[in-house]
Amino acid sequence: PAPAQAGRAPGPPDGGWGWVVVFGAFVSIGFAYAFPKGLAIFFKEIQDFFGTSYSEIAWVSSIMLATTYGAGPISSILVNRYGSRPVVMFGGLLCGVGMISAAFCTSILQLYICVGFITGFGLALNLQPSVIIIGKYFLKRRPIANGLAMAGSPVMLCTLAPLNQFLFDNFGWRGSFLILGAILLNCCVAGALFRPIGAGTALVKTQVNEEGKDALKGKITEDGPMGKKIEEEEGKDCFEKVNQYLDFSLFKHRGFLIYLIGNVLMFLGFFAPIVFLAPYAKHIGIDEYSAAFLLSILAIVDMVARPATGIVANSRWVRPRIQYFFSFAIAFNGACHLLCPLASSYTGLIVYSSFFGLAFGMVCAMLFETLMDLVGAARFTSAVGLVTIAECCTILLGPPIGGILIDTFGDYKYMFIKCGAVMVLAGTFLFIMNYYNYRMLAKEEKERKMKEEHLKSVRTENEGKKIWNKDSTQDGPELEPLREKGEGIKKEMNGT
Amino acid sequence: AGFIKSPLSQKRLAQDSVELYCEAIGNPIPEIQWWFEGNDPNETYAQLWDGARQDRVKINATYNLHSTSTISIANLTGDDSGMYECRASNDPDRNHLSKSPKVKWIRSQANVFVIERPEITTHVSESSGKLILSCNMSAAHLTIMGHKWIHREKILEQDENPGAFTSYTIDGKKEEHSGVYECVFEANPQIRAQVNISVPPQVTAYKKSEHGNEGDTGVLTCKNPSFPAVTSWSWHKSGHGVSALLENASGRYIIKSDGNKTELRILKLDIEQDTGDYFCNGTNSYGSGDATVNLRVRSRLAALWPFLGIVAEVLVLVTIIFIYEKRRKPDEVPD
Repeated sequence: PAPAQAGRAPGPPDGGWGWVVVFGAFVSIGFAYAFPKGLAIFFKEIQDFFGTSYSEIAWVSSIMLATTYGAGPISSILVNRYGSRPVVMFGGLLCGVGMISAAFCTSILQLYICVGFITGFGLALNLQPSVIIIGKYFLKRRPIANGLAMAGSPVMLCTLAPLNQFLFDNFGWRGSFLILGAILLNCCVAGALFRPIGAGTALVKTQVNEEGKDALKGKITEDGPMGKKIEEEEGKDCFEKVNQYLDFSLFKHRGFLIYLIGNVLMFLGFFAPIVFLAPYAKHIGIDEYSAAFLLSILAIVDMVARPATGIVANSRWVRPRIQYFFSFAIAFNGACHLLCPLASSYTGLIVYSSFFGLAFGMVCAMLFETLMDLVGAARFTSAVGLVTIAECCTILLGPPIGGILIDTFGDYKYMFIKCGAVMVLAGTFLFIMNYYNYRMLAKEEKERKMKEEHLKSVRTENEGKKIWNKDSTQDGPELEPLREKGEGIKKEMNGT
Repeated sequence: AGFIKSPLSQKRLAQDSVELYCEAIGNPIPEIQWWFEGNDPNETYAQLWDGARQDRVKINATYNLHSTSTISIANLTGDDSGMYECRASNDPDRNHLSKSPKVKWIRSQANVFVIERPEITTHVSESSGKLILSCNMSAAHLTIMGHKWIHREKILEQDENPGAFTSYTIDGKKEEHSGVYECVFEANPQIRAQVNISVPPQVTAYKKSEHGNEGDTGVLTCKNPSFPAVTSWSWHKSGHGVSALLENASGRYIIKSDGNKTELRILKLDIEQDTGDYFCNGTNSYGSGDATVNLRVRSRLAALWPFLGIVAEVLVLVTIIFIYEKRRKPDEVPD
């Protein structure tokens, strides 16, 4: 446990209980990502039991995925209001209740509701707070923490797949759903670990240190900590009220917009290759078990790649330029897909799977880290909600578009080319736009430093002369707005 | 009146069928009749009607914008060889018994040859891991232009040799390649013969071990993908060392079978009675084969114990975490 520190808190602890929180996030994120994929094992049996077609069963997975991503903003609002811990515990409870009620379902519609909506919503309430709380506990070691937490997804997938098979063989699908509901309740345990950290003061300090430049842009009234001040004022209007829970001003934030556009584009081609890897292998003539083995290789490489990427991203050389690293990872992913059609033998596919696993892990590990880096920990809560609901559409569209391409041309290579091209495009876009963003940020930083120096020199001048005359002709016209801004900063620094 | 389409002369094998087609136009719409003259020098033309020749003749005529008529004769014999004439007339007096028609019937002829089916001897031999199918045709008077081997509507092999003998080789065993194969002699007309690879039923279980829930219905399936199809299926249960024949009528068992597959449904599964090994046996004229399916019945509450265990574990862990936190709180200085 971190020793008690008197006086000013230094910011996020970067260790201690933080690692326990990372473990909790590991479990929570793992369930959120791996659970929908793991359910596929039960579909054949359920399909036979209810006598429906395959596409009707596949809707269960799609509804679950759509709810998990689409309920992002609701999750963000709840975290903004109540903090991470209650939300995750409630989410875990909801998941458990959803799966337990699914065990008693008598129609496919009830399955849609229980497994699709209720469990999906519960997983959404799991996913966002876990990612958010990492931002609250870590700053210097945040990329490593993110990488470790995101590694939960492949580990859980590797565990859930054989576990689901075992449960299905021994208990049938109803029994399995009952037991899976109980297993999902473990998310409550993970949530219990999310001890709330003194968010108020630590947050304000971080804000001032990292986002002084944002404040100077005149967003003082709309930022998070100032939002708390507004809370105490009377007569707030509706827009400000909504803004307090979900920060829509993010849409004016340059970095956020760049991230949003780049990611929405990227997700069009992100998941489709995984979905079609095994069918592609079977299409070439590889037997079913070897095709499944390819996915295992992917998962294992992914498992290792995520923490490794976290460590690399945390290093001195990469951390300041983490956005470039992220764009490189996306473009690398795209390049893998573009080269895949050249791999026509089993060995070629194994090589492809390994590189794909590596690239996939790299992108996933940094997915939320880069967003945190761009918008800062305070506004991350709202940012992640807005991003996930925007990504929701493209994530759901990606595999069906790939499927249409495959059906129209009868050849898998066009799907790979489409995915590769989209991702290379997204990577290049992010690279160029982030280059521009870094330059603008550097320029603003320089301006801010210049103004601070001017401010200091003005204050020392005035204090030295013991004159604080606003109407003094000594002040040039350009110092007037500076002084107002300076007073703004003083207000902020004193408003702890 | 005039002909748009005339019937075509054809050669056919005995026991095959033939179709002749005729179309005429005129104003008013002409009537079409079919007449036949045999090869005997004494024979004269006689009219054919629908149902003639012991119902082997079928005539189908339509009179819309123009007249069409199709005559088909099934199960041809040598006596069906001869000249077939399609006659059309639109004179209103054409069938009058006393008046003589002004316009005669216009006629169009087609010759139908019925050839005796040549003898084809077929043979299947098995040697050193290969199967050899062969067809030998005894009629030398036909000109053969090529051969084809067909299985399940796919052409396996074809050539353009003129011989009366053709053969096809398969790598493997009889049991793996059972079915109906056809050898085709390309001549005028085309002559086909069937070569069958027949084996005893290669019965396999759809799934070697099945599970069912107590009180639900359990389904056990066996299939036979080989040729010929199974004529009778039977199910036996062996548990406690007794082999009992399961019958359709004994309440809880429902057996549905066809030539390729049999399904045993057990209603209201009981853990003690129904768990065990089941044997399905299929018989055809070449022998019989069987397979074993193992059934395990799960108790209704089987899943309940792990469920309660995990819920208990979750509650314990959450309680421990919260107690640990409460006990540390007084020591910690709030941030």
